[in-house]
Amino acid sequence: MAFEFEYSAKNPLYPVSYLKLRAMHSRLEIIWTGQAENQAQGLAQRVEQEMLAMEREFNRFSEKSPLAVLNLKAAMEDVSVGEDLFMALELSEAFRRGTRGYFDIATSTSCGKDMVSYTLNPKSHSVRFNAPEVTLDLGGFAKGFALERVSRMLSDEGVERALLNFGSSSISALGTHPYGEWWAVGVDHTKQHGIVAKEVRLKDSAMSVSGRNYKGEYHIVNPHTGASVAAEELILVEGRSALVCEVLSTALYAAPKTEREAIVSQYDGYRASEILCGDCGSVSIRKIG
Amino acid sequence: MNRKEFLSDCGKIGFAGVTLSLFPWLQSCSDKAKQEVKGEKARIGIIGTGSRGCFHIKHLVQMPNVEVVALCDNYRPHLEDAAQYYPKAKLYDDYRHLLEQRDVEGVIIATPLYLHAPMTLDALSAGKRVFCEKSMGYTLDECLEVYNKRKETNGVLFIGQQRLFDPKYIKAMSMIHEGKIGDVVGVRNYWYRNNNWRRDVPSPELERHINWRLYSEYSRGLMTELACHQLQNGSWALGMLPEQVMGSGHLVHWLKEDKRDVYDCVSAIFTYPNGVNMTFESIISNKHFGMGEQILGTNGTIDLVTGMYYSDEPAPKGSGMHQLIAQIESGVMSNSVFAGTSWAAESSPLAPGVPIMTNVKVVTGESTVGAEADGSRELLEAFIHATITGRQPEKVLEESYYATQFALLADKAMHENQILRLDEKYKIPYTPLK
Ligand SMILES: NC(=O)c1ccc[n+]([C@@H]2O[C@H](COP(=O)([O-])OP(=O)(O)OC[C@H]3O[C@@H](n4cnc5c(N)ncnc54)[C@H](O)[C@@H]3O)[C@@H](O)[C@H]2O)c1
Repeated sequence: MAFEFEYSAKNPLYPVSYLKLRAMHSRLEIIWTGQAENQAQGLAQRVEQEMLAMEREFNRFSEKSPLAVLNLKAAMEDVSVGEDLFMALELSEAFRRGTRGYFDIATSTSCGKDMVSYTLNPKSHSVRFNAPEVTLDLGGFAKGFALERVSRMLSDEGVERALLNFGSSSISALGTHPYGEWWAVGVDHTKQHGIVAKEVRLKDSAMSVSGRNYKGEYHIVNPHTGASVAAEELILVEGRSALVCEVLSTALYAAPKTEREAIVSQYDGYRASEILCGDCGSVSIRKIG
Repeated sequence: MNRKEFLSDCGKIGFAGVTLSLFPWLQSCSDKAKQEVKGEKARIGIIGTGSRGCFHIKHLVQMPNVEVVALCDNYRPHLEDAAQYYPKAKLYDDYRHLLEQRDVEGVIIATPLYLHAPMTLDALSAGKRVFCEKSMGYTLDECLEVYNKRKETNGVLFIGQQRLFDPKYIKAMSMIHEGKIGDVVGVRNYWYRNNNWRRDVPSPELERHINWRLYSEYSRGLMTELACHQLQNGSWALGMLPEQVMGSGHLVHWLKEDKRDVYDCVSAIFTYPNGVNMTFESIISNKHFGMGEQILGTNGTIDLVTGMYYSDEPAPKGSGMHQLIAQIESGVMSNSVFAGTSWAAESSPLAPGVPIMTNVKVVTGESTVGAEADGSRELLEAFIHATITGRQPEKVLEESYYATQFALLADKAMHENQILRLDEKYKIPYTPLK
């Protein structure tokens, strides 16, 4: 894992640490203040360890990961999994139900629509797929999950101000910028990079953006049809939990406009909007719900 | 490594510092070497004043330590063209007479391929310092003979392989040797044009004299005219020589028009001892892809022609997170962090490239005469320097020798439809540059 750490105490009031990691096919960047250098370095290393562990657990493409093993065997037999993976599957199932099925970690399979793809046995921590072709992919879940984990690690260590950015699409904040009442994040205009389509203010909160990926591909699939969703707008979700923001932005993007409001209304304290970027830097924003 | 680091790293390897020692033939480009020959003049004779010969003249007239004292061409109009630049030069139609001229110290040979070796051999025997256009010879044996002759006479011999002196190639190769692109796993070369490769002929009996390129009696076609430039790339980048070559060549399109007998469509694969392949492909009835030379490494690709580096792990637009450090250091808050849809590490064909140096001069490969800023001038300067000092720079001839040998070997492989290895007897001492 590529690892970059920088530390600056030029401003003695707010010594600042910066960590950049490549993880989960993306990059995690964290900036935080208030720690001594050796403390910060130790924290950076523990974050890296934790990220590596999550990556091992959730990467379905690495043959030996528990998720890969699950994908290989769970159609034939009950497969027992570790606590983290079990929790991730439980949460994913709850989110599937809570998003009218528009968030589904089994989207890449052609399994019967609107069915439950897997059954969890809480007693034995085991999983069984309900159809032979089920394949689970935690890609749409893991970044939010990791952000939750890591921001918890930071606050447990007494860090009060931090901004965590996972691949630009999921961002989470602890406290505020030392010289402001929030952390300011600009949503990048999709047609004119560098222009802020919308400014988001984060304070002990998180945000997530979904849309065409950075190559311009429609990569989000509607689980009910199995087809990629060709929507031009970005979906922005803001709220307390990075995980909920990530899940919700994906689900809202996948869902037809007519269903979006009903989905958001189930999540107290979360705000969602559709951002449509036009030519010449124009932007139109519609609040969902 | 991110984009900024990469660029600043590139900035550190100046053309003047590290690289001159990395590539020994560049020594004469140093300020010290230039000082050494200040005020001196090399007396030069030019044999073959056709298009390439005149191209060199346009550089020579600008060089303070050159005096062109003799010109030779057996086609009068070309000789007269050149004489306009040097009215005082003695004119010849037989190069042997030029070689007899005492005050000629160095000769520049820019005649058709089949004449390169005989003329070079005679010139070396006459004690002249020699710059001969590529390719080095018309056959494998000729090249060896020329190489040995240079050794035997302890003379000076340069071959017109100007990429060895092109700043962007030098920068690229030093980056490759430093491991910047990872392990080299492939080398791609191609050269496409869409024209008949003919020159106008004032009267029919001059056809073969003017369009010598098209006839195998005088030229080996695309392999000796184009490939020899590009085949250098693999050996230079990998620091080794190909072990074998296979190829296929045909006359596909231009046969309808004339009586040429060299291929207009060739593909060759050279395989190095470590299994890496270098390809060369040339077609002269489609020009869409133009000229291309790429070194493929495990971390990224260097495009030698455009002087661009393409990382396999591109870091596109910055997230702005890093800028927060400076903000907090100086006690301000401003909007710098950008969010957008997810950034993924997998490589994208659209990944933006990074120039490997400032002021990259890009050459298209369309011209059959030559292009400005492609190293030709520097190569000529190095030859002039060597003519004055009498010192043959290290390795420059060996690089050129193998470029021609492998071009000829590939041509042979195509004609014989066989996989060929270079016979031991053609192997000369070659110490890789790494
Ligand atoms: N390094 C490069 O990039 C580059 C570019 C173009 C050409 N070249 C090389 O330069 C050489 C010349 O190519 P060109 O395009 O100038 O060809 P050209 O036909 O324009 O010039 C060749 C000249 O040699 C003369 N000549 C032929 N036989 C002669 C003889 N026996 N004695 C004296 N003069 C004779 C011809 O009359 C002609 O003027 C070729 O070997 C070619 O490969 C190199």
